[in-house]
Amino acid sequence: MADLDLVDFAVDYARQRGATYAEARFEHQISEDFMLKNSVLDALYFGEDSGIGVRVLAGGGLGFAATNSMTKADVRAIVDDAVRIAKAAHRKDPIVFAPEEPIVTNWSVPQEKKLSDVPVEEKIEEVLHIDRELQALKFKIPARYFHQGNKQIDKYFVNSEGSRIKSFSPRVRLYYYLTLVHGGSAEQTSQNYGWSGGWEAVREIDMLRRVVEEAKSMQNSLEHGKKSPEGKMDLVAGPQVSGIAAHESCGHPTEADRVLGREASQAGKSFITPESLGQRVGSPVVNVCDDPTIEHGIAFYAYDDEGVRARRRYLYKDGLINEFLQNRETAAILGTRSNGAARASAYNVEAIVRMANTYVEPKDWGLDEMLEDVKYGVYMKSFMEWNIDDKRYNGKYVGREAYLVEDGEVGAPVRNTVVELTTPTFWGAVDAVGKDLEIHHAGFCGKSDPGQALDAALGGPTMRLRNVYLR
Amino acid sequence: MEDYAERIVERAIDLGCQDAVADVGVNRSYQIRFAQNQVAISNRWRDTSASVFIVHGKRVVASDIKDLTKIDDAVERLVKVAKVSQANPDYAGIAKGPFKYGRLSVDKRIVDLSDGSDYVEAAVNGALQEGAKECAGSFWKYDEEHFLRTSNGVKGYDRRASLYMSIRALTSLESSGHGVACATRLGQFEPWKAGHKAGRIAKLAKDPVGGQAGVYDIVFDPLVFGSLIDQVGGRAGAWAVLAGLSPFAKKIGKRVAAPSVTIVDDASADSIGRKRFDAEGVPTKRTAIVRNGVLKTYLHNTSTAKKFKTRTTGNAGLIAPDANVLFCKPGDWTRDEIFSECKDGLWLTNTWYTRYQSYVTGDFSTIPRDGIFRIKKGEVVGAWKDVRLTDNLINVWKSVAGLSKNVDQVMWWGEVSVPTFAPYALARKVRITRSAE
Repeated sequence: MADLDLVDFAVDYARQRGATYAEARFEHQISEDFMLKNSVLDALYFGEDSGIGVRVLAGGGLGFAATNSMTKADVRAIVDDAVRIAKAAHRKDPIVFAPEEPIVTNWSVPQEKKLSDVPVEEKIEEVLHIDRELQALKFKIPARYFHQGNKQIDKYFVNSEGSRIKSFSPRVRLYYYLTLVHGGSAEQTSQNYGWSGGWEAVREIDMLRRVVEEAKSMQNSLEHGKKSPEGKMDLVAGPQVSGIAAHESCGHPTEADRVLGREASQAGKSFITPESLGQRVGSPVVNVCDDPTIEHGIAFYAYDDEGVRARRRYLYKDGLINEFLQNRETAAILGTRSNGAARASAYNVEAIVRMANTYVEPKDWGLDEMLEDVKYGVYMKSFMEWNIDDKRYNGKYVGREAYLVEDGEVGAPVRNTVVELTTPTFWGAVDAVGKDLEIHHAGFCGKSDPGQALDAALGGPTMRLRNVYLR
Repeated sequence: MEDYAERIVERAIDLGCQDAVADVGVNRSYQIRFAQNQVAISNRWRDTSASVFIVHGKRVVASDIKDLTKIDDAVERLVKVAKVSQANPDYAGIAKGPFKYGRLSVDKRIVDLSDGSDYVEAAVNGALQEGAKECAGSFWKYDEEHFLRTSNGVKGYDRRASLYMSIRALTSLESSGHGVACATRLGQFEPWKAGHKAGRIAKLAKDPVGGQAGVYDIVFDPLVFGSLIDQVGGRAGAWAVLAGLSPFAKKIGKRVAAPSVTIVDDASADSIGRKRFDAEGVPTKRTAIVRNGVLKTYLHNTSTAKKFKTRTTGNAGLIAPDANVLFCKPGDWTRDEIFSECKDGLWLTNTWYTRYQSYVTGDFSTIPRDGIFRIKKGEVVGAWKDVRLTDNLINVWKSVAGLSKNVDQVMWWGEVSVPTFAPYALARKVRITRSAE
């Protein structure tokens, strides 16, 4: 680890240079990535990324500068850069941050089995083992790609208001693409699981079972899959589907920076405006939360990258737009307080408003209870293709694993079921929410320029949507 | 900096590696992000780090070394990791140097540029003059140096400097336009033109109505056509083909586009993505991916080339080959002719969120954003919103009926991930869908 006194120096020096507010964030990330393609370990990536980013308010503008060189001269140079470019902004209305109390603390994520104690050979063997079990199924799987990644992230955050926060966050991921072929037809899947913690992730996420079950469902779909029915019918959406919908059509449109237009050029804006709080967007049974404090959620954190304490946010509550995700800048504009949603993907980019672990809050329905009332519809457990427009109003999720449901009975697999609905239509059709919360489906959420792909959990229980158009 | 690169390679070879590559990169880029017509934040970077690739007994390890004061320790750690890793039987070495490279071509005025505020103001004013109310975007000064050494005798130096502007203009939440400007010469940088274009489209997109699903002829603006070209470049990477992430597998020599379509990868030509060599030090060159509608090659590094019994195309990345800079050969139509040949269709000006249901078949969808215009008898008759292009990548490419004579250099936030020279294009019978309510 570098000389952390330089982090404090950066903040003090920025104040001397005329910054009205200054923060410095040192990060040290150790990452291992194992890339297994068709049983061959293509490469092992081992990275040790570290550096310091300084953000200042000066002359009403915001400046950010970063370096990976932890020398006093280079830290001084980036502070000079940040102050100079902040002052050059010449804004009509100065940027201000909503107030926060200074925090001095350390936090870390516990590891039952430390990532640093697990030999590289064991980590590689875990992926090879999954690949061998997959091949033992004797299905035709011409393309198999596994990417197992581990990160250990140390941070030290200091700001000119007296905050000093040290943290340690280990994370484990497995994502994979599979291509199964049968009878001249192919089916593909892409799945991504994540865990904040140590190597116990392998056991807790049960990656082997998930991969094998998925391959079996793909083979079943290829052998017995029918064309998905078209028309208005009920949809029973599994945890992966409710999770992606929570992320795309609730989490993103309630990001305050998007609502205010700061991301308009790239990630886009939102169909939600500052005046939308309290307006109906879903049925009364819909609660969607974003909660960084979920233990072992891939995006767990105790304090955000502006030093604000993390807490659960109810974005949609009882079907109403309830709360935006805020950082200190957006909170000041909207006359409220930050709710701890500022995050950066590395030391060399500014912290902006981000989702963490976003999920549909579970209720008390069992899967069988939801299915038994369905006369005709589709039970869609997972998806492959998905996208949504830049105002987060028109979402599309195309089924990977899905089944026809008739008179409450789950029948034959159906292929490529298309759910292409507006956001209010999707959430407004939900009449039942299950108790089977699944939170370890993970994504790399993209936003900002330069792009920041950031860990995010996409979770939920099974939900039932009534009378929606499917094809 | 070349000493760092040299030292990394020497140390790796001393420790028993068969191959080693070190690319010490110096990044001095600068950016202004703007929103609501004013600067939101300015960013500046001062990074120096080494991208490293070592091979010990066919065991491949890649890394980025950030602390160049501790090179020996870092390389020893990598070799230690390599020794317990698994061999890659597909690994076939790195290119054998030395190589001669094209001349350096950097505008010192770009290197010396320290304030981009005037360019931001010019772009925003251009959009506001057209009637826009709100603008957001990014100005970039890219400034990098690269010092490359490999254990196969490669010594390379590159200096890359360019300017880029991306601006989105809005007259309302649902009426917007986008423009970009790219330049490797300060005198050629015209961000105001990007602003004017974004503003014009935004104004024209006033009061859009919900579109109708169906099959339409489509006029693709260069920005959205660039996204489709980017899909070809990305899916033509040999690694993507081997991983099952491409509809181009087993299609070399087969028709994958209309006969008028030729797509070339060429980082040796002038563009904001110009570079003298790839990650192995192979000089960049012109490679036709698709010629007259026929798939000619995948994009290769030394190892994938050997697997496909061909030669590297100079597209090596640290681990996998990828596109560098893409050029779509211009057609012989004017922009007006492209529009006039669209009797009953749409003009799409931008898109995002391109995703596949099956990479193998190429079934995908992408969501047009910014101005979406209804065209009848070659004329804009109204603006649409809330539609999606849902089709197949190869079908869309085969349906191309005309390309304009002029091309624009475009790049845009992930969707056009590498600099791309794209014309206006007309494609027949493309499928459009929309959300149910």
